[in-house]
Amino acid sequence: MNTPVQQIVPEDRALRKPSNKFKFTRSVRVRLTNRLFKYYFLFSILALCFVLGLVIFFIGKTAFLTFGHISLSEFFLSFNWNPEEEHFGAAAFIINTISLTLLTLVMAVPISVGMAVLIAEIAPKWFKNLIRPVLDLLVGIPSIVYGYIGLTVLIPFLRKVSGENLGDGILAAALVLALMVLPTISRISDEAIVSVPKKYREAAYAMGSTRLQVIMRVILPAAGRGIIAAIIMGMTRAIGETMAVVMVIGNTAQLAKSFFSPTSVLTSNIVMQISNVEFDSTWNYALHMMAFLLLVISFILILFIRFLGRKGRNT
Amino acid sequence: MKFFKRMSLVAVTSLMVASSILGTASAASDKVSGKITVNGSTALLPLTLQAAKEFQKINPKVRIAASGKGSVTGPQAVKKGIADIGACDWDASIDVPGFKAFDGQVANKVAVIPFATVTNKNVSVNNLSTDQLKGIFSGKITNWKEVGGDNADIVVITRAFGSGTRVNYQAKALAGGDITKKEKNYKEVGSSGDMKTAVATTPNSIGYIDLVYVNSDLKAINFNGVAPTTNNVINGSYKIWAYGYFMTKGQPTGATKAFIDYIQSSKFQQGSLKKLKFIPVSAMK
Repeated sequence: MNTPVQQIVPEDRALRKPSNKFKFTRSVRVRLTNRLFKYYFLFSILALCFVLGLVIFFIGKTAFLTFGHISLSEFFLSFNWNPEEEHFGAAAFIINTISLTLLTLVMAVPISVGMAVLIAEIAPKWFKNLIRPVLDLLVGIPSIVYGYIGLTVLIPFLRKVSGENLGDGILAAALVLALMVLPTISRISDEAIVSVPKKYREAAYAMGSTRLQVIMRVILPAAGRGIIAAIIMGMTRAIGETMAVVMVIGNTAQLAKSFFSPTSVLTSNIVMQISNVEFDSTWNYALHMMAFLLLVISFILILFIRFLGRKGRNT
Repeated sequence: MKFFKRMSLVAVTSLMVASSILGTASAASDKVSGKITVNGSTALLPLTLQAAKEFQKINPKVRIAASGKGSVTGPQAVKKGIADIGACDWDASIDVPGFKAFDGQVANKVAVIPFATVTNKNVSVNNLSTDQLKGIFSGKITNWKEVGGDNADIVVITRAFGSGTRVNYQAKALAGGDITKKEKNYKEVGSSGDMKTAVATTPNSIGYIDLVYVNSDLKAINFNGVAPTTNNVINGSYKIWAYGYFMTKGQPTGATKAFIDYIQSSKFQQGSLKKLKFIPVSAMK
């Protein structure tokens, strides 16, 4: 915590003529600003922790009221979500969320890791300088825009290709999400690949490896942890995404049995129903429980990334 | 001078209220002040906002805060004491399918909201009966040729459970019939705007929406042989419509009463309310 500035202070004081009168000198100013900033930063981080704590507390408080009305096993194992008949089985939403995320990753990971390799290893410099800002820009596009593109371009296209009448469903949602997480995964993987020490590459080339061998056998394994962290970052985005999904998934509370059956995931179900729900109803509590579940999932994923990072540093 | 101006203003207001067609007693005779909070239906929100603007011009001491969410949040907020007025698309003082009555609340009619059955423009059917609609929305009729159209699957687009539009449509157009979810050719949307986009862009689709949203992107379907028009609602031949309600805890008092009286006054009903494409309550016999 001792900054160089604080060490300077005594010397500075020795140089000055002793004076009884309080003066707003440099050393006082430095100490004052140091202290002020310390408290300011402390306050900032505490405020954030406080808000986070409140979110967990209030969502959790309402969420656990669910189990005063229905059993734990009904919520997690039943597929029957019919608020009008007091059935609150969220299993379909949980499974849909998992399958949607997996489908998204299956589509997005190979492409985005490929892109990352291209940008980091193969492409000429001018291309790197062009494509990196473009990817950063794509990360920043609001999800509703992706959803709108999905609704107006992707859905009619899927209808034409598949011969379906509606086109909404888990495939459309996964395609939109894949497009959304693509820049996230490729930019973070890109950084992981770039940070692989140059000596690895040189050693591999010196042993007579081809470029493909260097990439597949040396660089990708060395950057593996970083790439996995990138994939998990993409996953958290896919799991939590709401607006883009709502627009293309069909919003029907049932298990996705095919790519094109209208269905619903945790996020889309919450946003569709929360405005029509009575405050003191099991329905409301169950929706809060679903939100709490999303919180827990993203916490676990973030913890997993931290764990990965720490392990990577130790070896 | 100022005093006289204000007095004449108050006199004019009370005159207007007194002459309202519903014959509600004059309430705005005294200077009205206070804060009114309105929660609830988004369908009624444009009406509430317009009325609030005009009412505050006449009664500068009244502050009105209005927000829209789902219909059911209106009476809920009134019950909890968060809001003075709960805007709701159905009469929340009695039971409706899916929602229990809110005890001790009074339903004040403020407008008539007509609804229309709509289809994509590629659908050739022009008229559907109650039974046909029941069949379509319950999933028994799945092809347009069964109701006299082309050979194509019917794509049902519906509002999520709890929507005021859905409650009213089920009660009036489907005669209390169910809307059943299906594996295919079925989709739920979250708002009237989404309904409009979905039906307009999905071939062979059918849905339902507030009449004010119907434009050239959609095809409005006759119900039991009657076209969905404002005139047909007024003359009683078109049946899919509902009153919009302002729910209050007991009989409204003070500023709340004055505000509801203002909305029910013939000046507002015949003027701004008509401009917003609602139908005056007094038009219904």
